[in-house]
Amino acid sequence: MNRIIKKLLSNTTSLIGLILLFVFILIAVFAPTIAPPLFPDPYQVPRMSWDVEPQPPGFPMADDMRFIYESLGKPITRDKAIFGTAQGGYDIFYGLIWGTRTAFYIGIVTVTLSMLIGIVLGSIAAYFGGWLDEFLMRITDIFLSIPFLVAAMVLTTILGRGLDKVMIALVFFGWMGYARVIRGSILCAKEDAYVMAARALGVKDFNIITRHLLPNTIFPVLVQASMNIGSMVITAAALSFLGVGAPMGYADWGQMVSFARNWIIGSPGKAGEYWYAVFFPGVFIVLFVLAWNLVGDTMRDILDPRLRGEL
Amino acid sequence: MVINNQQKILEVKDLKTYFFTENGIVKAVDGVDFEVYQGETLGLVGESGCGKSVTAFSIVKLLDYPGKTVDGQAFFKGEDLLKKSEKEMRKIRGKEISMIFQEPMTSLNPVFTIGFQITEALEVHYKMNKIKARERAIRLLEKVGIPIPGQRINEYSHQLSGGMRQRAMIAMALACDPVLLIADEPTTSLDVTIQAQILELMKSLLKQFNSSLIMITHDLGVIAEIADRIAVMYAGKIVEYTDTRSIFYSPLHPYTFGLLTSIPRLDMEIEKLESIPGAVPDPLHFPEGCKFHPRCTFATEKCRKQEPVLMEVEEKHLVRCWHFEKVKQEARKIAFTGRLTAGE
Amino acid sequence: MSNRLVSVKHLVKYFPIKKGVFRNTVGWVQAVDDVSFDIYSGETLGLVGESGCGKSTTALTILRLEEPTSGEIIFQGKNLAKISKNQMRKYRKDLQVIFQDPYSSLDPRMKIKNIIAEGLAAHYMLNTKKRYQKVAELLERVGIVPDYMERFPHEFSGGQRQRIGIARALALDPKMIICDEAVSALDVSIRSQIINLFKDLQKEFHLTYLFIAHDLSVIKYISDRVAVMYLGKIVEIAPKDVFFRKTLHPYAQALVSAVPVPNPDYKKKRIILQGDVPSPANPPKGCRFHPRCFKKMDICSNKEPGLKEIEKDHHVACHLY
Repeated sequence: MNRIIKKLLSNTTSLIGLILLFVFILIAVFAPTIAPPLFPDPYQVPRMSWDVEPQPPGFPMADDMRFIYESLGKPITRDKAIFGTAQGGYDIFYGLIWGTRTAFYIGIVTVTLSMLIGIVLGSIAAYFGGWLDEFLMRITDIFLSIPFLVAAMVLTTILGRGLDKVMIALVFFGWMGYARVIRGSILCAKEDAYVMAARALGVKDFNIITRHLLPNTIFPVLVQASMNIGSMVITAAALSFLGVGAPMGYADWGQMVSFARNWIIGSPGKAGEYWYAVFFPGVFIVLFVLAWNLVGDTMRDILDPRLRGEL
Repeated sequence: MVINNQQKILEVKDLKTYFFTENGIVKAVDGVDFEVYQGETLGLVGESGCGKSVTAFSIVKLLDYPGKTVDGQAFFKGEDLLKKSEKEMRKIRGKEISMIFQEPMTSLNPVFTIGFQITEALEVHYKMNKIKARERAIRLLEKVGIPIPGQRINEYSHQLSGGMRQRAMIAMALACDPVLLIADEPTTSLDVTIQAQILELMKSLLKQFNSSLIMITHDLGVIAEIADRIAVMYAGKIVEYTDTRSIFYSPLHPYTFGLLTSIPRLDMEIEKLESIPGAVPDPLHFPEGCKFHPRCTFATEKCRKQEPVLMEVEEKHLVRCWHFEKVKQEARKIAFTGRLTAGE
Repeated sequence: MSNRLVSVKHLVKYFPIKKGVFRNTVGWVQAVDDVSFDIYSGETLGLVGESGCGKSTTALTILRLEEPTSGEIIFQGKNLAKISKNQMRKYRKDLQVIFQDPYSSLDPRMKIKNIIAEGLAAHYMLNTKKRYQKVAELLERVGIVPDYMERFPHEFSGGQRQRIGIARALALDPKMIICDEAVSALDVSIRSQIINLFKDLQKEFHLTYLFIAHDLSVIKYISDRVAVMYLGKIVEIAPKDVFFRKTLHPYAQALVSAVPVPNPDYKKKRIILQGDVPSPANPPKGCRFHPRCFKKMDICSNKEPGLKEIEKDHHVACHLY
């Protein structure tokens, strides 16, 4: 364990990834301090004005907005939109800060759930083999053959709009990779002598899978999962961008980007006029995904040679 | 046994090969000296980790990183192999010195026919044309006992059984009439009846071609059959070095003695199998003094402090031990005609 | 040599060869083909043969680690081949196994105390504290410092790992232990340690061994009776002394003569067999050994010889007798 930590810290790329991750964690944890909420639901992004057009960074809160907030009894701790506003006057800064929490939530929950489903199905298929394996693998193939974005959109159309529906779609169509990886690993590992030794001792199948096979095969899956956290967030953002996903005004990076949809090109003659509407959310997303990828990559490099050698 | 009047083919002096790993320096071969004469077989005997394979690889300069030969000489036909360039070594390998490895599956290239691998050597070293090379290859396959050689020459290594593959390897090794053959555990992975075939084949071919052989193995039975002289290795050094009969009839080193009394054998009834206590030492942490002393029943304080040198204590019998006299007595006590070996 | 502990009757294990898109069974690997023998309580039966002869498969099938294709395995009055998997679990306490490879037979992620105690836990024997006490005793008995029970397998040498494997097998107080090439992967100087350990434990715990090996020298030292297998069949079975004094089956004779002896003066009439072992997927008709047999007769290529008792306790499957 100590060696893993040491290796993680010594590698430059992994160090960058770790620092980025750490920064994001800080942002998520201290969101209430960095961007104090103005509504009971902290994920409700406050507007700075009623303007449809995005406003540039440093835009001060409009007077009529201020009046509304004050009359509602909400303390205004910040009256400048540091990153500017998105379409409809939503404060980009606020959205991105609280969106960090959303990103972690989406990433970790979807990956954990899809990983669990994948591991259960994959390990059962690999351990018991035979028709059960065939059956489960064909199901996996069917799921894999469905184009993800289309499937997710269909599912969210049926289930309705909302972040949780998006997450259901991500989990429902995201477990297959894990199932395959675990199945491959277990197919190999179950031929190892220590597995046969456990069977010879009379250990029950469930215990063989959970105590012997999974601990020895799960690391690559965990690495893949950590790298998938980033891609889950991007996919959720893509779905938000397409209009499916979090409700209007919800603090979610995808939402922030989707608010920029109409303003990406800018007005004629002034290309990139609303750069900030795309730039800031984009930076957050990119850095988040990068962080997970860098850490996951290094984990994989550390684990590969060690898997071959001793533990 | 014909050493006198025979030419020295190979003379290895003070060979030292170390592995520079991230955990420390492994002194795999630490000062090894031996000679090989024309037409004889020298056996290099020892267990895993003793350095016998590394010795062979060092001589033909086939060491892999992080191994490096840091000292010593290997005189072959008057020239020091260790000083030669890779280009020069390539002319020697396969032609003057050939190697046979343990795993025929991995030493034969799976994407080439076995015929190709033989003719390739002939074309490179002798500049033979394809037709002549193919003829010679077929004759070689025949010589090593591969049936229907004209057909098998076109087959791939996976189409042959283990025994056949090893025969093909021997054919490859002999293709260019090498002066010296180095065989690294050539029969260890084979079934015992196949091993018997291969050993008989090797013995007859060696006689035919009058080649010399360095036979590397851990199997004392195999070495008794094929070797004229034996060097026993332990922890990177030679601990006993003499002719075969002396090794088996009057061993002088406790390790040799221990090995001989701890192996089960077919030719005699054994009441109780002895064993050498402990285990082969970790190459990163060799003991002080004599490397064998922690496991030695004859060890004294001197052995813990001072490492013995390889000395010629009887005619043409070298041993690395302070207490070889005691070993000699023990060996005699066991009445080796009854215990250590059984004469006919 | 009085009572039979295990009786194997007409055991068959075929592995299907599947080819094609629909995984059709195009043939069978006849790994074990109608094998019968008894193992008597307290003895060591040495099962010897070369690669592909089916000795390991026989062992795995007896333990139901491979499902038998047909045949009976009689133990304590029950036919183990026919009982359910759950019922078989209970019998596993009595029939243990030690594997060949000390490096892959121990779970690298488990402390050795848990590796050894796992059998006890699986059968709900003893409470945790008593289990670890037993682990300590076992470790001591097999020659490992009990304090080391908190360590992991990679911290031990090959010989030590094999000792741990032995401790694991002993934990369940088995009646019989199948040693599947248990010393083959060890260094020569360690091998005799483990062989001696086997012998001592047998006396102390009244164990019965089915000792599988390809090295006849080891078999000779440790066995009471010897059984030779070739291509899925037993060709000769006899008490050890009788076997080595009067080897009857031509294959067994060739096998004995092929073993190298550590004696430079040992002159023996060496029988060199021609050719290679045929594939068990396509065994020869009649006597399976006849293509390589130096004493072949006409009948051998047509009719398969059965195992016949030639003299007391000495069975051979050969038309010569």
